[in-house]
Amino acid sequence: MTSKTTRSILYWAILSPLMVVILFPFGVMFVTAVRPRAELFTYPPTWGFSEFRWENFSEMWVKTNFGGALLNSLYVSISATVVALVLSIPAAYAMSRYRFAGKGAYRTFLLMTQMMSPIVLVLGLFRLMMALGLVNDLNSLVLTYAAFNMAFTIWMLQSYFNSIPRDLEEAAWMDGASHLTSLVRIFLPLAVPAMVVTAIFTFINSWNEFVLALTMMRSSEDFTLPVQIYAQVAGRYQVEWHHVMAATVLATVPVAIVFSWLQRYLIRGMALGAVK
Amino acid sequence: MSSVTIRGVRKKYGAMDVLHGIDLEIRDREFVVLVGPSGCGKSTLLRMIAGLESISAGDILIGDRVVNDVPAKARDIAMVFQNYALYPHMSVYENMSFSLRLKRMTKDVIDRKVREAAEILNLSKFLDRSPRQLSGGQRQRVAMGRALVRDAQVFLFDEPLSNLDAKLRVVMRTEIKALHQRLQTTSVYVTHDQIEAMTMADRIVVMNAGRIEQIGTPLELYDTPANLFVADFIGSPSMNFLRGTLDNGGLRLADGTLLPLEKVGRGTLGQKVVFGIRPEHLVLSEDSRNLAAEVEVVEPTGANIQVYAKVAGSPLCAVFTERHDFRPGQRIMLSWDYERSHLFDDATGQRL
Repeated sequence: MTSKTTRSILYWAILSPLMVVILFPFGVMFVTAVRPRAELFTYPPTWGFSEFRWENFSEMWVKTNFGGALLNSLYVSISATVVALVLSIPAAYAMSRYRFAGKGAYRTFLLMTQMMSPIVLVLGLFRLMMALGLVNDLNSLVLTYAAFNMAFTIWMLQSYFNSIPRDLEEAAWMDGASHLTSLVRIFLPLAVPAMVVTAIFTFINSWNEFVLALTMMRSSEDFTLPVQIYAQVAGRYQVEWHHVMAATVLATVPVAIVFSWLQRYLIRGMALGAVK
Repeated sequence: MSSVTIRGVRKKYGAMDVLHGIDLEIRDREFVVLVGPSGCGKSTLLRMIAGLESISAGDILIGDRVVNDVPAKARDIAMVFQNYALYPHMSVYENMSFSLRLKRMTKDVIDRKVREAAEILNLSKFLDRSPRQLSGGQRQRVAMGRALVRDAQVFLFDEPLSNLDAKLRVVMRTEIKALHQRLQTTSVYVTHDQIEAMTMADRIVVMNAGRIEQIGTPLELYDTPANLFVADFIGSPSMNFLRGTLDNGGLRLADGTLLPLEKVGRGTLGQKVVFGIRPEHLVLSEDSRNLAAEVEVVEPTGANIQVYAKVAGSPLCAVFTERHDFRPGQRIMLSWDYERSHLFDDATGQRL
C-alpha cells in the first residue's frame, strides 16, 4: 500500500464516528419511509424491510398536503432570500464605500441583533404582525426571515465588497460610466460569489425555520414544510411514522443535494472574501 | 487634446491641508510629470484633475472649461491606474471597448478602434484573454489601451510602472514616451521615481509637502535646482552638500577647512550657506589645495565607479567614468568645475 492510501484510510477512520452521527438519522428516516406500515415497530429494530414501498411517498403526498406546504416553503424561502439580498446589497455597499456618521454604531447594532434568539422576540413579532394584519399570511414570514438574515448578509457582503478594489469603479467612471452603470456592470458582477453565499445561507435558514412559522401561521393550508411535518406528529391520536419520514426525506434530501453541489461556491466565495 | 490649467487649487481633509494652493499650466500636447516623495500630494492633485477627488478651493480648467463640478465621467479624460484596474470579469477586448460601448458606438467603429490600439500596443494576440492570464507588462499595456481607444482630451498616469520589475519598467518607460511622441496627447504623469520623471517629461513639477518646489524641463532642474529640496531630489546618486560660512577666498567648513571658491559672487561674507556639487561633477586632482577626501566604500557599477568618502566629517559621493583602483582608507584630492557647483542659503534653502 502506498502511503497515500494508508493516509486516506486513516483519515476516513478518524472521520467515521462523525459520519455515523450525521448519517444515522438519514438512515432511519429513509428505512422507515419505505417500509410497509405493519413493519414500523418491529422489535428488535432492524435495517431491513420486506417490501420497498414507493407508494408511501405518493400516499403521504396526498394525505399530508405535502405539495401545498412545499410551495409555501419555496415561496417563503425564495422571497425572503430576494428581499434580504435586495436590501442588503445597497446597505453593504454604503457601509463599504461611503463614510457617514454612525457607521461604527450601525455595524455594532447589526452584530447585536444576532445575539437574540428569535424565540425571545416571538411574542413581540406576533403582536407586530397582528398590527400589520399579516398573521396567517406567508408574507409575515418573508419579512421576518429577511430581517433576521440581513444582519449576517450585510456583514458578509460588506467584507467582500471591501475586497473589491475601488480603482475598478473609478476606472469605470473615467471610462464614462455613471455610478449606477459602474455598479451594475463592474461592481455587482464581481460580487457574485458573495451574493451566492449569502443567498444560500438565507435560503437554508428560511427553509429550516420552525418557531416563527409555527407562531405566525394559523391555518394548515399556509403551513411551511417544517410546520406541516410537525403537524403530522403533534397532538395526533395515531402517528403515521412512515408518512412523516417520507415527508422529511422529501423535505431535506433534495435541498441537501443541491447545497452539497453549491457548497464549492460557498467555500470559494468565503475564501475569496477573506483572502483576496 | 487640450491644455490643463490649475489655479490656486487646495485640498483639505478635515482640518488637514494636503495641497496648499497649486498653480500650474499644462500646455496642449505636453507631457508633464508630477514627482515628489510619497505624501507630497501629487496623486491627490492628479485625482482632482481626474474628478475623483473634490476641490476644496481654486479652479481646474480643461481647455477653457472650468471642470470643478464636472463629474469624472464627463471630463473626457483617460487614466491609467497604478494597479491597472482592469475589469477582471471581462476579456482584454471587452476591457478596451468598455468606454466605447458606453458611448453606444457602432460595432464596426468599436472593433476598428480596439484593433488599432491593440496593434500599437502589441496586444492583438491577447484580445480574447482575460486579464489574469496576462503578465504584468501585458496588463500594463491593456490599461494603456483602454485609455488609448478613447481619443481623450488628456491622459493621466498614476504611477503606472511601479508594479513592474526594474527591467520591464525601463522598457515600458520608453514605450510610453514613444507613444506620446506619436499621439501627442496632453499627459500628466505621477511618479515618485526621479529617473522616470527625468527621462519622460517635457516638463517636471517637483512637489513636496503639498507645494510645488520647482517647475522646469528635466535639464533645468538638473542644472539649476531652485532650492535644496530639488537639488537633493533630482539626480542619482544625490547631490553632495557641504555646510559652511562664506569667508574671504572661499567657503569655511565646520571643521575649519577653507574650500576655495574661485569667485564668491552669489552670497555675502559671513552668510551661512550650503555648497552643492553632484557626484558626477567631481574630478580627481593633484592639487593639494583642493578638497581632501578619505575613501570609505567603493561600488563599481560597470559603467562607472561610485566612491563614498568622508570630507571634513561629512559624507560625500563621487562618480568616475574612468577606471580607478581605489582602496578604502585611501586619501584622494577632488576638484570640480565652478560652473557646475551650486550654492544655497542655509536658512531658506533657496539657490543663491
